[in-house]
Amino acid sequence: MAQTDSNWADRYREKWTWDSVTWGTHSVDCYPGGCPFRVYTKNGRIVREEQASIHTPIEAGIPDRNPMGCQKGACWSHCHYSQDRITTPLKRAGERGEGKWQEVSWDEALTDIADAMLDAIEEQGPESIITPLTPEVGAQPARLFNRVLGTPTSDGNAEFQDFSPGWHLTWGVFNPTSSMDDWFLADLTLIWHANPVYTNIHWYHYLAESRYNGGEIVTIAPDYSASATHADYHQPIRIGTDAALALSMCKVIIDSGLYQKQFVQEQTDLPLLVRKDNGRFLRGNEVYDWDREDQFFWWNTLNGSLTSAPRNTLALLDVDPALEGTFKVTLSDLSEIEVEPVFQLLKRHLEDYTPERAGEICEIAPDNIRKLARKVATRKTKIFIGWNSGKYYHGDLMERAMALLLGLTGNWGKKGTGTRSWAIMGMDGDAFMARKPGPGQEAAQKHIASMIAMRKLVSVNDPTMTPEMVQNRAAEVASELGGMGNMIPPAFLWYYQFGYKERWNDPENNDPTMKRSFDEYVNEAIEKGWFGDRASKVFQHVEPRVFFESGGNVLRRQRGGQKQLLKHLWPKLKMIVSVDYRMTTTGLHSDYVLPAAQHYEKLVHSMMSVHHLRFVLGDKATEPLGDSLPDVEIGFRLVEKIEERAAKRGLTEFKDCEGNVRSLVGLSDQLSQGGALREEEVRFDEAIRDNAVYGLLPKGTTLETLREKGAVRFTSWGSIGHGISQGSSIRPDEIHTPMRWHVEDKVPYDTLVRRAQYYIDHDWFIEAGEALPTHKEPTNQGGAQRRFLMTSGHNRWSIHSMNMTNNILLNTHRGEPFVFINDDDAVGLGIENGDKVRMTSNAGTMLIQAKISPSVRPGQLIVYNGFEPYMHEEHYSQADLEPGHVKHLGLAGGYGHLTYRAFSWQPIPADRAVRCDIEKVMD
Amino acid sequence: MPDNKKSKRQLAWVYDLNKCIGCQTCSVACKMLWNNEEEGADHQWWMTVNTKPGAGTPRGWESMGGGYDAKGKLHFGRLPTPEEFGGGWDFNYDDVLRGGKGRSAHLKKISGSKTWGMNWDEDEGGGEFPNAYFFYLPRMCNHCTDAACVEACPSGAMFKRESDGLVLRDEDACTGSQQCASACPYKKIYFNEARGVSQHCIGCFPRLEQGVAPVCVRQCPGRAAFVGFLDDENSAVHRLVAKHRVALPLHPEFNTTPNVFYVPPLAPAPLREDGSWDENASRIPPNILEDLFGTEVHGALEVLRSELDKKRRGKESKVMDELILYQWKDCLGHLTRDPAEIVWKRS
Ligand code: SF4
Ligand code: SF4
Ligand code: SF4
Repeated sequence: MAQTDSNWADRYREKWTWDSVTWGTHSVDCYPGGCPFRVYTKNGRIVREEQASIHTPIEAGIPDRNPMGCQKGACWSHCHYSQDRITTPLKRAGERGEGKWQEVSWDEALTDIADAMLDAIEEQGPESIITPLTPEVGAQPARLFNRVLGTPTSDGNAEFQDFSPGWHLTWGVFNPTSSMDDWFLADLTLIWHANPVYTNIHWYHYLAESRYNGGEIVTIAPDYSASATHADYHQPIRIGTDAALALSMCKVIIDSGLYQKQFVQEQTDLPLLVRKDNGRFLRGNEVYDWDREDQFFWWNTLNGSLTSAPRNTLALLDVDPALEGTFKVTLSDLSEIEVEPVFQLLKRHLEDYTPERAGEICEIAPDNIRKLARKVATRKTKIFIGWNSGKYYHGDLMERAMALLLGLTGNWGKKGTGTRSWAIMGMDGDAFMARKPGPGQEAAQKHIASMIAMRKLVSVNDPTMTPEMVQNRAAEVASELGGMGNMIPPAFLWYYQFGYKERWNDPENNDPTMKRSFDEYVNEAIEKGWFGDRASKVFQHVEPRVFFESGGNVLRRQRGGQKQLLKHLWPKLKMIVSVDYRMTTTGLHSDYVLPAAQHYEKLVHSMMSVHHLRFVLGDKATEPLGDSLPDVEIGFRLVEKIEERAAKRGLTEFKDCEGNVRSLVGLSDQLSQGGALREEEVRFDEAIRDNAVYGLLPKGTTLETLREKGAVRFTSWGSIGHGISQGSSIRPDEIHTPMRWHVEDKVPYDTLVRRAQYYIDHDWFIEAGEALPTHKEPTNQGGAQRRFLMTSGHNRWSIHSMNMTNNILLNTHRGEPFVFINDDDAVGLGIENGDKVRMTSNAGTMLIQAKISPSVRPGQLIVYNGFEPYMHEEHYSQADLEPGHVKHLGLAGGYGHLTYRAFSWQPIPADRAVRCDIEKVMD
Repeated sequence: MPDNKKSKRQLAWVYDLNKCIGCQTCSVACKMLWNNEEEGADHQWWMTVNTKPGAGTPRGWESMGGGYDAKGKLHFGRLPTPEEFGGGWDFNYDDVLRGGKGRSAHLKKISGSKTWGMNWDEDEGGGEFPNAYFFYLPRMCNHCTDAACVEACPSGAMFKRESDGLVLRDEDACTGSQQCASACPYKKIYFNEARGVSQHCIGCFPRLEQGVAPVCVRQCPGRAAFVGFLDDENSAVHRLVAKHRVALPLHPEFNTTPNVFYVPPLAPAPLREDGSWDENASRIPPNILEDLFGTEVHGALEVLRSELDKKRRGKESKVMDELILYQWKDCLGHLTRDPAEIVWKRS
């Protein structure tokens, strides 16, 4: 009788054995993951990994989050040994993009690169060396030179276009985001501009479980997405009309008196008074000679008088601010004017958004709008949003309208409510490593003490500043943030040097309601110095010479397409470097490709994620394959080579564009505290120990602690990154809910009016008719006459283009890029499932395979992002169809919270709802 | 019915289709453990997740035949072709990345099926916009109680393990006749061309022996999978299948008495002609679910709906709590050991 006590069975048993187990995680922005894994190694080779499943819930009554992970993570080790892995430095041996390589030594590669960098510095200054910020944190140390040479890093918000401008306009912060276990607690979840079944595989269960717990799930999307399949209601919506839906719900809520009056009065600008003569907020210095320009007013109905809205608290002390009514006010020049609360203006504005009218705009049954509005008004509601809305040209308006819906219904600052998108904290220990006065934790203590003292100075003239404001102002003046070098909003660089001037001035791609030419707005923003000369003026004359990409893939990512870069940027570049563990499309077009260690071959940690609040260790399971090196080692070797080559040409210092003198001597020592923190493990341990000093991690945490436990929970936000944007403290025994400082402690917001601000009386916003959240039609970007609207979003099988070429994962879908098209549309065009098609817009064209489904909205084409351009015939991808426009209002500044700091307010490109055509291609 | 030696106990799986998100972590985890870089196994996916409605893998498997008729007579169905299984793709990486060919070479398949893949019709589904519908169906060998494959095997290589009811194959005795694959109505048996043997899900038996759950369950981030002995009153599997009756076998009419069970899918309310929601209608046509899970599906859905309703009214629901899975370990049955604890004494 055959049984399992024989040879064949032993072969299987042998397969599931190993020599050693290490902790692993993926130091990437999987929105952001940080799943703890165990990595199994046998005979010096990593054989597989499996989720560690070590989580215990911190708050009773909430499911744990095991076995947090995803299919990418479950075969990450396969990428260590896959055929696109790079293990030797490669020097271009043919034309750029040809794919001919010569294997060279590290020394040869770094010498060439260092020489090119020094040439660039001597010719035009460090500003001609561009490093884009990339979402792969593990790759960041390869760019160590950023921290000492003053070379610019283009801001990630624009670079990978992950910003929610509407949240910023409303709350003055990056994304306030709950930890994902909070999803479980919502009574109503609107999955809106998000597809978590694809993008939040590791956490999605909290949504399914919230439904099982009695919560309702509604998806709002043009198509019947994978996430819609698990909803209670799915509301299809015409592409790009979401603001109209939100505003109509707001109207229903106000008309039926379902809004939360006290929340509105206390937390928002809706009771603030606006002048009827000019549509501006009534300001302090208009009423009293001695008062501030940024003092705003209420009408107190308790005593019928004009009252200053306090700048130091949101609390309503002996005041009941009017939401409606028109009042007379005498100004300091004794003239009399009429004022009214924003709420009243809003009510008039919403007349345009009856469910019937909005129903037409959105192609939604008016009854559904009413039904949904009532649900939102009567339940703990969370808008589960991704980063889709911000990628629409008028995404800011959609988000502002959604924020209005939440504000009217009191839906933030408590569990199971709010919005979400994505947020990270900073790794203070790493960022401050070179800045503290020496190695060791005593030095870290001194550093934090001096930082606290400096921050006190920021608020010396305004004692009403909140900690959030202090940190944000400090970030605005800091030349370097988070150790990432000089962060610049890249819009101006793109405008002058990447060929976008022409494109952004093409009226076909712009909002037809834009009053002036794009150029005029750019010039005004520059003249008024809204973004600082360093970011806005330098690139009028400095041409990029060196482009250094580490862990990113600009030729896949750039909205506007690779063609744009290859035509306008590439010819200016003398040196293009790609640091990666695999060959990307950018690598293919680089002069050098430098092999980085893979994630299980070096010490990494998870992204510092607000979503899971854990510092997760990824240990070194094996030595890096071939000649590949940990990123930090690459970073140091390059810096040391720069020093060596500079010395050789007798160059000891140089000036940057602002006239600062920068040294070329002792750079490595500066970064490593005189060599004490040069080595990978020592450095990693030091960052962890310092994090414990800075309060991010429990006291006394070391690398050893992490090797024992795999992960530890954060204890505070630290002083860089988006932590402070959360407006809540991390509590040791509770899930994280943002904005509690405001709602519970009545701490003001960091906006111009210090309240959630729906009314933006900036000249440009008034000119654009966008002082209040409003609906505007999608633009004609891509070409007015084209029949389809292309939407996109993250796919299920890769993190950006990372893992996309993993042949295990390729086998779980079509194995090549495809576009989803509606079945009726396909029939009309004679396109069959699997056909080769060409898609075209006014920006470019690409070849792709058609995939047909009735889930797709008629007139919609869905191309999920992440395919390597080299997976397409001809190598052009969906980015080549995107004009890559930015909305001109992103250039607005000089207005309260509309000011630049890293990862914050700036122009970001739109790539959703690009107009294009599609046709079948015969082979 | 066959005279298979019945097992003493039966290990069973439950997949909750309202939690399954089609992420393929189960499939990938299984592939990584058993079929990665294995000779002749490129195309093998013992665990697969497909979109329903859809042809799945092997393409159109439901109409290929096999299993037993109502009288208990074994039927040999059709052997799926490699093309129908699909996939098994490798790609021309060198050509594109190091071949010096620039834009004239792009990454493409250089082996395997030309027309299909293990998840080729992902997210296509059925219906008509705006009332399209689909859901995910994870599939593995059902370790059937009346395993057609075992009866069909001419060489006595296949057997049902007494201790836990796993259906396994002695690969040293297998002659590669593929009768098992013809007889299996679920078409979950692959052929290893290089080694001349058939292969299918082994229930991660080396893990079970160490008290560790199979990877498809232990790695499922959707927390949609459960494993345990069917008769173990302490296992969630037992409660979901036998007590709450919300988990049903797939295609019971194949008469092999499968031991993988499914919590059937709910779906959002469909839209009426005027675009308004019709809460009383079903988006997924009931006959589609009946075809898959038999008529009992209506009762199971009814239980789900009424238990959901309890929760919505603020009442307790044991069924919902079970499916919420407050403590992940509860989906592992008796197989709760952490594999990372194991230290192998290897020579
Ligand atoms: S890739 Fe991200 S989401 Fe997936 S397992 Fe790794 S860390 Fe988790
Ligand atoms: S891992 Fe779980 S959720 Fe993902 S496809 Fe498999 S069964 Fe479904
Ligand atoms: S599913 Fe098929 S292979 Fe598995 S036990 Fe049943 S009949 Fe045999």
